Amino acid sequence: MSALVFLIPLSILLAIGALVAFFWAVDHGQFDDLETPALMPLADAPDEPPQEPPQ
Amino acid sequence: MTVGTQGCWHCGEPLPPANAPQAVVGGVAHDVCCMGCRAAAEWIDTLGLADYYRLRTAPARRPPATAGGDGAILARPEVARQAVRDLGGERREAVVLVEGIRCSACVWLIERGVGSLEGVASVEVNALSQRARFVFEGTRCSLAQIVDALARMGYRAEPLTATALTDARRRENRAALKRLAVAGIGAMQAMTFASALYFGAIDMQDIATRDLFRWLAFLTATPVVLYSASSFFAGAVRTLVARRLSVDVPVALAIALIYAASLVMALRGGAEVYFDSVSMFVFFLLVGRYAEMRARHRAGDLTDALARSTPAFADRVRADGTLERIAALELVVGDRVHVAAGARIPADGVLETARCRVDESALTGESAPLVKIRGGALVAGSVVVEGPLALRVERVGPDTVVAGIVALATRAQAARPRLARAGERAAALFVGRVLALAAITAAGWSFVDPLRAFEATLAVLVVSCPCAFALAVPAALTRALGVLAQQGVLVVRPDAIENLAAATHVIFDKTGTLTDIALHGVEPLRDVDRDDALALAASLARGSRHPAAQAIEAAASNEALRPVAAWQSHSGGGVEGEIEGRKLRLGSPSFALTRDPGSTSLALANGPGSPSLDGAVVLADDTGAIAAFHFAERVRFDAQAAVAALAAEGVAIEIASGDVRAKVAAIAARLSVPHFIAGARPADKLARLAALRAEGARVIAVGDGINDAPVLAGADVAIALASGTEIAQASSDIVLANGRLAAIPEARDLARHTLAVLRQNQRWAMAYNLAVVPLGALGFVPPWLAAIGMSVSSLVVVLNALRIGRRKRRGGTPAPKLVPAAA
Repeated sequence: MSALVFLIPLSILLAIGALVAFFWAVDHGQFDDLETPALMPLADAPDEPPQEPPQ
Repeated sequence: MTVGTQGCWHCGEPLPPANAPQAVVGGVAHDVCCMGCRAAAEWIDTLGLADYYRLRTAPARRPPATAGGDGAILARPEVARQAVRDLGGERREAVVLVEGIRCSACVWLIERGVGSLEGVASVEVNALSQRARFVFEGTRCSLAQIVDALARMGYRAEPLTATALTDARRRENRAALKRLAVAGIGAMQAMTFASALYFGAIDMQDIATRDLFRWLAFLTATPVVLYSASSFFAGAVRTLVARRLSVDVPVALAIALIYAASLVMALRGGAEVYFDSVSMFVFFLLVGRYAEMRARHRAGDLTDALARSTPAFADRVRADGTLERIAALELVVGDRVHVAAGARIPADGVLETARCRVDESALTGESAPLVKIRGGALVAGSVVVEGPLALRVERVGPDTVVAGIVALATRAQAARPRLARAGERAAALFVGRVLALAAITAAGWSFVDPLRAFEATLAVLVVSCPCAFALAVPAALTRALGVLAQQGVLVVRPDAIENLAAATHVIFDKTGTLTDIALHGVEPLRDVDRDDALALAASLARGSRHPAAQAIEAAASNEALRPVAAWQSHSGGGVEGEIEGRKLRLGSPSFALTRDPGSTSLALANGPGSPSLDGAVVLADDTGAIAAFHFAERVRFDAQAAVAALAAEGVAIEIASGDVRAKVAAIAARLSVPHFIAGARPADKLARLAALRAEGARVIAVGDGINDAPVLAGADVAIALASGTEIAQASSDIVLANGRLAAIPEARDLARHTLAVLRQNQRWAMAYNLAVVPLGALGFVPPWLAAIGMSVSSLVVVLNALRIGRRKRRGGTPAPKLVPAAA
C-alpha cells in the first residue's frame, strides 16, 4: 500500500506533464495541418540526416 | 519517381523541336521548354534547393510568362494595410493563395525558398487548401518580396484578406483539441482510480483509503467538467437565453447533475460516486464534436475556390485618362476601372462605356454572355467577352455580390444537416424523458427507502446514455462524408446523403455529362499538311480548359508541340498566340476569321467546296483560314457503366437535353435509356422535373454545372461535374471531383448504407436504454456496470459508423484517392 503514496502522485504528475506537452504542441501549430506533413517525403535536404520515423 | 525525362526538366511539357533552352541545375544542363522554366529552375538551383527535382512526384506548373511583375504593387502601403496583418512589434502576417502547388515537394520548396529570405520567421503551407501563411519582420522583409520569390520559383500568389476566417478556424481547432486532451487524460485517470474501487483492490471497509480514491477521482474529473465540458455549458446557456432547446441543454444538465451529486456523495460518505462516468461521458461527446468540426472545416476549403474568382489586380483610370495598375484591394467606391476583353471584372459597378458583353456564368449559371449597355450593372468575377469597357465602382470587397455568395456558401456549410438536427431533437427528447424518469425514481424511492433514493437516481442518470444518441447521427454522417471525399465525391450539403439514398429518378444532361466531344476530322482549308495543322492547333490549345481545345490536344498526343509566345485566351471566342513568329488564332469561325476585316470571304473562298463550318473550330493566321477541325460526340468512358448500375438498382433514368432529337435518341439508344426529352430549353427541363416530383419521385439531376443551373437548383440532389465553374459547383449538393460518372451509383450505395447504419445506431441506443434504465431505476445496476455500459454503448455507435465504406472497398474497384495536389 505504501507504494501508492508514491505512485499516485507520480501518475498525476505524468498526466499533467503529458497535458502540458500537448498544449505546447497545439499552441505551436503542430496540429493545425494534419494533411500536408503526411504528403511530405521523409527525405530532407541532402546534408541533413534523415528524419526519425514517427514514434 | 522521376518526372519529365522526355519533356521539359521543370514542368514536363513537350520541348520545342529544336534549340530548346537549357537550364543548369546542380552542374548538369537540362533541356527546358521555355525561358520561364529556365529562370525558375536556375533560381531554385541558386537557392540550393535542387533536391526539389529529386523529391517531387508531379512536374511543376509552367511559370507564367510575366513572372514577378505584379509584386511591386503589393509593396504599396494601401495594399499592405489590407493584406498584411500586424502581429505586434515588427512581426507581420500574410495569408496567400498559392496556385500551382502540385505535390509535397512544392510544399518543401516553398517552405525552403521563402524561408531563406531575410526576415521571414515562419512559413506554413497547406497543400490541400493551397494556402500559405507567412510571418515576417516588417523592417527586413515585405509581402512584395515574398510574392516575388514565389513567382520566381514558378508559383502565382494572391494575397487573401479573409485571414479572419482562417484564424477563427484555427482557434476553434486548437481549443477543441485541448478540451479533448484534458477530457481524455482526465477520464483515463478517473477510470484508474474508480476501477480500484469497483474491483475491490481497495478494502472497502477502509473508509479512509476509499475516500482518498474518491477525492483523487474528483481531482481528475474536475478539470474535465469545468474546462472540457465548458463548451456544453456555454452552448446550453446560449440556447436558453435565446429561448430555444438544443442537445446541449440536457447534456449540460446531465453532466452538472452527475458531477454535483457525486460531490455530495463524496462529502456525505455515500455509497457511490460517478466521477469516472461523467469524465467518460464528456470525452465521448467531445470526440463526436471534434469529428464534426473537422468535416465542417474541410468543406470550408471549398469556399476558397470562390474567393479566387475575383482578380487580384485592376487597372484604374486616372483623371487624365491614363491607366495605373493597382491591387483590387485598393479600389474604392467611385473609382473608374478599365477592364480588357477576356479579363475578369474586379468590383461591382456600373458600365460607363456604350456597350459590352459579359459572361456571368460563374455567378448565375447563365451560360450565354449578356449584353450590357451604358448604366448596366456589372458584377465582380464575371468575364468580359466583348470589350474593353470602363466601369464606375459601386461596391468593393465584402460588399460585392460574389462576396455575398461566398458568405452564403460558408453559412450553408456551417448549417447542420437535417439528419443531424433530427438526431439532436431525438436526443434532446430522450434526455428529457430520462430526466423525468430520474425524478420519478427519486420520488418513488423516497417512499420505499429514502436512503437509496439518491443512489438509484444517480444510477439512472449515468446508465442512460444520451451520448450514444447524440453521437448516432454525426458519427455515421462524418464517416460517410470522409469516405465519399476519398472517392472524389465532394458532398457540399450533407442533406444530400439522405436524398441520394431515397432517390428514384436520375435526370442526366447529355452534352458534357454523358458525352464528351472528340476530334472527328481535320479539314485543311489550304495547302497544308494535316498533321502539321493539328500540331499547330494543339500547341495553341494547350492550356485552355475548353472541351474542344482538350479534344484537339488529346488527338495530337503524338505530335511534337511548338512553343507558343504571347498566348492569350478570349472567353467565348478562342485562343491566339505566336508560333515561330507567326500570329495564329484558334477558335470559333467568327473569332478566328473576323479579326482582320475582309479576310472572312477570302478564307472561305480558299476552302475546298466552301464546307459548312457550323460547330467547327478554325485555325487561322493573318492571311486566312488554315484548317477546320470537326468534332464528334462520344459517350464518356464510364457513362454506360454508371447508367447500367443505376438501372440495376431500380432507379429510373432519363436524359434531358437541349440538343436535336436525332442526336439525343442515338445516345439514349446507346445507353439503353428508354426516356429522353430533346430540344429542351432549361424551362422545359425544369417542367419535366416538377412533373416527376409532383408524382412523388425523388430526383437526382446530373449536369456540368453551368447551363443546367435551373435543373440542378430544382432537383432533390444536384450533382455537378468538376469541369463546371467553381461557384456553380459550390451551389450544387455534390461535386464529382474527378468527373467519374460511375461514382454516382457508388455514392448512392454508400448513402443507403450510411442511412442503414444510422438507423441501427439509433435503434441500438434506444434498445440499450430501454433495457438498462428500468434496471437502474430499480436499483439493480452497480456503478461500475453503469460506467461500462455507458462507455460501451457509445463505442458501439462509433465503431458501427466506421463500417461505412468498408464493404465497398473490399468488393469494388480500388477508388482513386483524391490528391488535389497532383493534377
